[in-house]
Amino acid sequence: MNISRMKGKVRAWFSKPANVILLVFLILLTVLTLYPLITMLLETVTVHLGREARLAKLPVGSKTLFHFARLFATSENKYSWITFYQPLLNTLAVSVSASAIAILFGGTVAFLVTRTNLKYKKFVSAVFTFPYIMPSWTLALFWETFFKNVMIGPKTSNGIMASVFGIYMPEWFVYGGFPIALVLGLHYAPFAYILIGGILRNMDANLEEAATILKTSRMRIIRKITLPIVRPAMLSTFLLVFASSMSAYSVPVFLGSPVRYYVLSTTMKSLMDSYKGQAYIVVAVMILFGVGILLLNQAVTNSRKQFTTVTGKSGQISKINLGKANRPIALLLVLILLLVAVVPLITFALESVIIKAGDYSLSNMTLDFWIGKDTTQWLDQGDSTGILLNPKVWSALGNSLGLAVTCSVVAGTCGILVGYGVSKRRGSKLASWVNNLSFFPYLMPSLAFGAIYLAMASGIPWLGGFLLMALAGSIKYLPFASRSGVNAMLQLSAEIEEAALITGVPWWKRMIRVIFPIQKSSFLSGYLLPMVSCMRELSLFVLIVPTSNWLLTTMLMQYSEKGWAQFGNAINLLIIIVVLIVNFTVNKLTGASIDKGVGG
Amino acid sequence: MPEIILKNVTKRFGKFAAVENLNLVIENNAFITVLGPSGCGKTTTLRMVAGLETPTDGTISIDGTVVFDADKGINLAPNKRDVGFLFQNYALWPHMTVYQNIAFGLENLKWDKKRIRARVDELLALLKIEEFEGRYPSELSGGQQQRVAIARTLAPGPKVLFMDEPLSNLDAKLRMEMRTELKRLHRDTDSTFVYVTHDQLEAMTLSTRVCIMEKGILQQYAPPLEMYNNPANRFVADFMGNPTMNFIDGSLGADGTLRFGSLKARFQPESGAMPAAGDVTVGIRPEYIDIEEDGPLEAEIYSTLPSGMETTVKMHTGGMPLTAVVFGDVDYAVDSKVRFAIHKLAILFDKKTGMNLGRGSLEEPANA
Repeated sequence: MNISRMKGKVRAWFSKPANVILLVFLILLTVLTLYPLITMLLETVTVHLGREARLAKLPVGSKTLFHFARLFATSENKYSWITFYQPLLNTLAVSVSASAIAILFGGTVAFLVTRTNLKYKKFVSAVFTFPYIMPSWTLALFWETFFKNVMIGPKTSNGIMASVFGIYMPEWFVYGGFPIALVLGLHYAPFAYILIGGILRNMDANLEEAATILKTSRMRIIRKITLPIVRPAMLSTFLLVFASSMSAYSVPVFLGSPVRYYVLSTTMKSLMDSYKGQAYIVVAVMILFGVGILLLNQAVTNSRKQFTTVTGKSGQISKINLGKANRPIALLLVLILLLVAVVPLITFALESVIIKAGDYSLSNMTLDFWIGKDTTQWLDQGDSTGILLNPKVWSALGNSLGLAVTCSVVAGTCGILVGYGVSKRRGSKLASWVNNLSFFPYLMPSLAFGAIYLAMASGIPWLGGFLLMALAGSIKYLPFASRSGVNAMLQLSAEIEEAALITGVPWWKRMIRVIFPIQKSSFLSGYLLPMVSCMRELSLFVLIVPTSNWLLTTMLMQYSEKGWAQFGNAINLLIIIVVLIVNFTVNKLTGASIDKGVGG
Repeated sequence: MPEIILKNVTKRFGKFAAVENLNLVIENNAFITVLGPSGCGKTTTLRMVAGLETPTDGTISIDGTVVFDADKGINLAPNKRDVGFLFQNYALWPHMTVYQNIAFGLENLKWDKKRIRARVDELLALLKIEEFEGRYPSELSGGQQQRVAIARTLAPGPKVLFMDEPLSNLDAKLRMEMRTELKRLHRDTDSTFVYVTHDQLEAMTLSTRVCIMEKGILQQYAPPLEMYNNPANRFVADFMGNPTMNFIDGSLGADGTLRFGSLKARFQPESGAMPAAGDVTVGIRPEYIDIEEDGPLEAEIYSTLPSGMETTVKMHTGGMPLTAVVFGDVDYAVDSKVRFAIHKLAILFDKKTGMNLGRGSLEEPANA
């Protein structure tokens, strides 16, 4: 091969924008995801300052495998069992149950909505994604405030169930593995609803009709045809929910820690304070599980069992008639959704106006925690004004919004570019590398991700504060944006762009004038999801936020820790309302919705 | 003056060769059809010439300009090749109206507004789609979308127009109509058309020359009728014509005695030169078989398929199937006996290689 021939090949390669984009992202993502990962792995063999150094009896900064031995094989006082193996088992139990609950609940509802003549479908499909839009601790907090009583757990006060209805729920129901799995399952059920529902909705009706013609019974069709076709979507749901549940932090903190029920993420947080090395080992274990499931998912979905369900022709699907069961099923669903999506909001509103905990009479209520000029009469300490009159709350709201917008713009734009590059060079090694790298941040637990970025930034003086948070947020939410970007681009036939290419339209103009407008709503969803997630993010930022009242979420945590329940509930409600407003405004104005980010 | 020249063009995807060593000269103002079964490399060829795909090897020049040369590292961008491309699925931009779709390319060439308006109006009139100017693609029927796509492609006045199965998404009637118009358009626009299709009828009716490919290799490049009457090999003979040619295995003796299937005859080569003796395949076009009362050969009717203007007759002679086409609407009782003759030229193919050995008449035919 001569030199001009080589040059020509290289030039041809670089003349394609997709190649350049992929190369840039390969480098960028390697630096921003693999580098932190390696940094973290190094931390697992490094002796850190403080108690760790004293325990290991080694100089700070030296390399050792002590942390591994300590975490995995210390029988003294059952240390390994308590700090690692038991939480690991708890994590697996909780994550698997949460995935099962999400798939069962979300999948059933998806089936009912797409395949039957269920009543109140509009309401169901509108409200079903609520739990996902709301912060994950919402349901946990609601569960605790609703069911807690003086007989169990920390035995502080009675919740609504005990004080209003006089029913005292047993401890296993209120705290521990059961409520954590249930709450996480409900929170992530929208994943299943969106992924499985998307397939069911687009599935060619002929597939089922062909079986009907062959005199197959309804049940058999569902079992033998419908279920196998949605199986890949169920596996994807499993991956997403398992990985998310495993790294969930706030839910187990609210529902597990009060009764000493620990999972890996909560152990990791407590180890982080004085035993960093062991904490990072826990993180590595969590990532290992995530990668394992990702590989499993890929192996399964890449095999012959993946189906193209979207064909050109898709007729009217014959809906199953639920008959007499229709109304009871519909009402039950509506009831569950109200309980999951609406009642928590009412509870927070209630809790933010009562003066003395556990007393829900009207005389015990005040709006002072919202708009009062002086609240010191109700709380021993605390900020003196209601949250809506508190300038710190407003500045935190501004910061949260600013950060969310920044992360969404960066992540969303990168997501579109990744989607473009990956879809154009589909099948190439480079594309699959970039695709996997862009999904990798999803598998990193938020808390650990924040910790690693903090460690990484400590050596870079200009990287800190807002810039660091924006960088961490953008990378952490890139998976959402890149997934919706890839999906949107894959739906677009290559010819649409080539038709413009051939008339000499430059690349940036093809993106702005042709590609973006056509897939506008999908691309905008790639912006919306990072924004919504960022608004309600706590664990990612908790370690890198400059001061704890800088963001609304960290402020909420600070208030909860100080025991200012009313302020906490009020801010929580404020966050949820802001998130809902942002979501629905964007949705109404542009047609973008979070479904499109997760779906596909 | 030759317009498009391909020299040793090869395209490999990994180990698989989509197009292998393709040499082709497309004359100015020609209407060339690239024909072949799906997956034979015809679309890849078109896309390479247009610049949408980069060849692995070879050179391509358009109108004297080298647009691609693997050895010299030359690779002109598609927009610098002055070509138009009509896509199979039209690829109309769904968010732009008909007017915007046609005008978009012109805006890009920095034409002034007035000139764009005039050019779009001209095209709208040429393709008879004036009344759809303000509509979006989704509000048009398939045929109308097709016309808009053609107008959009023609707008900048490309010297060469590439079309990738542009009619395959239309119904039979509309396809016929569009064929007529494409042929008209070719004359009116005075440009070179390169057309990809898997439909041999389309290739026959439209083009000045047909390039037929199989598995990435050029099989024959000739005017359509020549290809029909004197195919280079068995593959081409089989691909061209409907119903397909009858192929009967047999052997040729040195003296010209031909035994094929249950029949025998003396082969009289058209050129006078007798092919070498050996195993051959005899190819006979269905329309060369005439069913007539005093025909020398006998067969049994298997089934008749009338289509109005002509009737396809499937028959068996000595257990060997034969297809004949008869003009007009005739019906034969199943299993009845008929007599037939083979009047026109048959083609001998080498049984092993499938190569054309020569045409000739079949003298003194008889049932063996």
